[in-house]
Amino acid sequence: MTDTFEPKIVAFLCNWCSYAGADNAGVARMPSPANVLPIRVMCSGRVSPEMVLRAFRSGADGVLVLGCHIGDCHYISGNHRTIKRMPLLHNLLSYVGIHPDRFRLDWVSSAEAPRFAQVTQEFVEAVRALGPLAEDGW
Amino acid sequence: MREQICKLVAEKLPELAGVVALRQTAVGTAPYLFREGDDLSQLVLEPRYPLPSVVSMLQKRYPEARFGVVARGCDARALVEMAKRNQIDPERLYLVGFTCSAEQAAECYCAAPAPDTAGWPQAMVVGVPVAGAPPNPLVAQYEEMSLAERRAFWQQQFAKCIKCYGCRNICPECFCEACALEDPLWVEAGMLAPPFPMFHLVRAMHMASRCVACRQCELVCPAHIPLTVLYDLMRRDIGELLGYEPGADIAAAPPLSLTLADGMVHGQDQLL
Ligand code: SF4
Ligand code: SF4
Ligand code: FES
Repeated sequence: MTDTFEPKIVAFLCNWCSYAGADNAGVARMPSPANVLPIRVMCSGRVSPEMVLRAFRSGADGVLVLGCHIGDCHYISGNHRTIKRMPLLHNLLSYVGIHPDRFRLDWVSSAEAPRFAQVTQEFVEAVRALGPLAEDGW
Repeated sequence: MREQICKLVAEKLPELAGVVALRQTAVGTAPYLFREGDDLSQLVLEPRYPLPSVVSMLQKRYPEARFGVVARGCDARALVEMAKRNQIDPERLYLVGFTCSAEQAAECYCAAPAPDTAGWPQAMVVGVPVAGAPPNPLVAQYEEMSLAERRAFWQQQFAKCIKCYGCRNICPECFCEACALEDPLWVEAGMLAPPFPMFHLVRAMHMASRCVACRQCELVCPAHIPLTVLYDLMRRDIGELLGYEPGADIAAAPPLSLTLADGMVHGQDQLL
């Protein structure tokens, strides 16, 4: 059963860096996993904890939040909020028993297409190893 | 203690529009605005009650008036966080602080049973402050619990929730006019217990950097869900990650709304 398990991943990608990075990965035909459902947001700072929680509630086995590197945010300090808020959510998820590997915050610039492919692949494999979230009983 | 407080209230009343405290009459105990000439023998300190929310309501209703409030440690902390979010005006508030007993502090796992008046414009504390009590042992045990155990624990706890909103309603730090917990986008309507993870984790995230550990939510919860175990863990994380202690310093800005230039994040070096 687990060998055929394909995890569902929701990835929040900021418009200016990570979404462009994903686009470039596609243009360059880099293999990136089809498990990832991208949701474009204007800035990683737009991603509220509620959005991440709802992705889990809606059946995601893992959630990715990708934005511009610190210092490169299109809105200067949007991702400063992200880096303060998301680690708290990450901890909170683990306090109720959701494995920390089911959530990841990272930065991918528009020039980092290979990095996009790598981060998503790593993440999909990590979540695949954990199995479906529903099996944890949540 | 009560006599000293009444004396101080009587002294201050002529210069204030009133003092918010608990009043006990034949029909029961309730929050009350004591004004000059009122019978202060009816002023009582028990039970614990979230008077800061009453202060906020009165200050908004009477934008010129100066009030007083009889407050214990947690009330003062709650007022501090409310002040930072424009829910009360400390310039128009006289704080009549008092310290809880050691027994009460132990019951609440309270680290600071007496109000800290530093940075508070007008305040006075009655009584000799007692030392802080040790933290909730459940919080320490948490480290030992596996993910599966945590899951089992909270599944059992959250399954009891009747979604009465009592935890939100009593919380001095829950004051938004539009509440995410009532928004069907985040919390599906008509489902009991509220489906995981929305209701409880949304509230826990909203309490991050705001929860002052007054324990009112836990006290009021009809399902006896140990909510503050989660909130205490969040308080600890806020301290470690952002160097912030909710309710402690009236001059410190809420960290989640700051940029990295105004307040660093710790332990996230791989992302910086
Ligand atoms: S007070 Fe308890 S039962 Fe009521 S909504 Fe809050 S957690 Fe649920
Ligand atoms: S302990 Fe509960 S009621 Fe008190 S501030 Fe924290 S969340 Fe609100
Ligand atoms: S615009 Fe990319 S993180 Fe803000």
